[in-house]
Amino acid sequence: MSQITLLVDASKCTACRGCQIACKQWWDLSATKTTQTGTYENPRDLESNTWSRITFHEYESGGKFQWLFLQSSCLHCTNAACVDVCPTGALKQNATGFVSFERDLCNGCAYCAEACPFGIPRMETINALTGEAKASKCNMCQDRVTNGMTPACVKTCPPGALQFGERTAMITKAKERVETLKARGYPEARVYGENELGGLRRMYVLTAPASAYGLPDSPQYPVLASAWQNVIQPFGYVATALAVVGLALNWVATRRSRLNHVESLAAPAPEAPAEKEEV
Amino acid sequence: MASVATDVAARPEQALVLRFTAAERVAHWVHFFAFTVLLGTGMFLYVPWFQPFALGASGEAARLAHRAAAVVFMAAPLIYLIWSPREFFYSLKESFSWGADDWGWLKNAWNYYAHGRTGTMPPQGKYNAGQKFNALTQIVTFWLFVITGLVMWFGRGSVPPDLFLLSVVVHDLSVIATVLLFMLHIYLVAVHPLMRESITAMFEGTVSEEFAAEHHGKWLTERVFRKRKDVKRQT
Repeated sequence: MSQITLLVDASKCTACRGCQIACKQWWDLSATKTTQTGTYENPRDLESNTWSRITFHEYESGGKFQWLFLQSSCLHCTNAACVDVCPTGALKQNATGFVSFERDLCNGCAYCAEACPFGIPRMETINALTGEAKASKCNMCQDRVTNGMTPACVKTCPPGALQFGERTAMITKAKERVETLKARGYPEARVYGENELGGLRRMYVLTAPASAYGLPDSPQYPVLASAWQNVIQPFGYVATALAVVGLALNWVATRRSRLNHVESLAAPAPEAPAEKEEV
Repeated sequence: MASVATDVAARPEQALVLRFTAAERVAHWVHFFAFTVLLGTGMFLYVPWFQPFALGASGEAARLAHRAAAVVFMAAPLIYLIWSPREFFYSLKESFSWGADDWGWLKNAWNYYAHGRTGTMPPQGKYNAGQKFNALTQIVTFWLFVITGLVMWFGRGSVPPDLFLLSVVVHDLSVIATVLLFMLHIYLVAVHPLMRESITAMFEGTVSEEFAAEHHGKWLTERVFRKRKDVKRQT
């Protein structure tokens, strides 16, 4: 299967938030009641029922002001920490590269939310005492994409800031766009996500440094995320297996020596001189 | 030293001594019950083969059982402390007191337990060095389990992500440590021929004087017999 990528050209985004609504509509996610806090950004953060939203940022460089808009959502890392820590298989890496999510399989442990280098998954706590919860995040419209359609947000984007397709084609497009932007007076234009964390399947064309958009400049895979399944689990199996073997050997040795022991009880006179392990 | 007590059952009319008080036995079995439930339900997340159990209704039941058992687990030492504070602090003090006899025990443990040799073991207190080691590990992992467990239970989303991930890792390492000890513990009390009486002690509270003399000589002479003299003096 070919590798897919969703390319977000932030320089074309008009912040209409059509993608936000298309996402809610397709996935039947409820609206959130919000209050005006002096910004167009609404809602102010991702939520368990808001998987994607437009963020607004002000940036000044070289005497030039930019109002930056960005579609903030799951970046679908190729080296996805959330997939590595998920104990139930609710999060999986699709063969085409995106990170799928099965809500039914999620047991609410929140390991993914804690391991994500971008802080994307949101936990919907159903009962804090019993720990009942569900994670949620963008799943790249897994139902649409695996049936040959584009994600709902891409389908709806009026200025064509969102594009979806084969990864190498998207990378070529992104690089071309960066050159165009540079020629048009955006010297800081760049591609974000070509190599970060093995390649992000939501890749950005930016006109300012990543940090100006609220993205980490160099996202890092959390060390502890790989420790669990790669080190601790195998270590536990090996240690347990060795213990079983050790105890079994001890049992065999004990059974043999117990006979000697009973004999020595019958004739207790001389202490056996320090005779070491019987072979 | 007294002779070996392997064939206790064959000798009737054994003098019995109280090894574990009712408080100790109840606390032990409550701890045992909580630990096995926690281990069983925790394995759903640890072992990939058990993943199906972590999903759906059984997953919800496991999640609830793990939390309920965690409360019982935290309560077990409190039962011991409140019901029998004297024995609690005595055992605690014993577990932290290590001397030449303990190192001697460790040195001879293999010969003794694998080859059934006696006579070379230094006399032990209420707990031998192995039991002390078990107790110390239980104390350390108890706090690790409780702290990291509470972080994962109530700190979700509000503690720093690194602390949460560290808690998962420490919780898992504590599981490995305790499971290894648990296996050794079960093996020694249920399988090992020299230790048959120790499980009786945990059910009925008593062991034969002979067993006590062989395995816990110091405790027998310094604590049990001295107590007995006190009783005699009073009457």
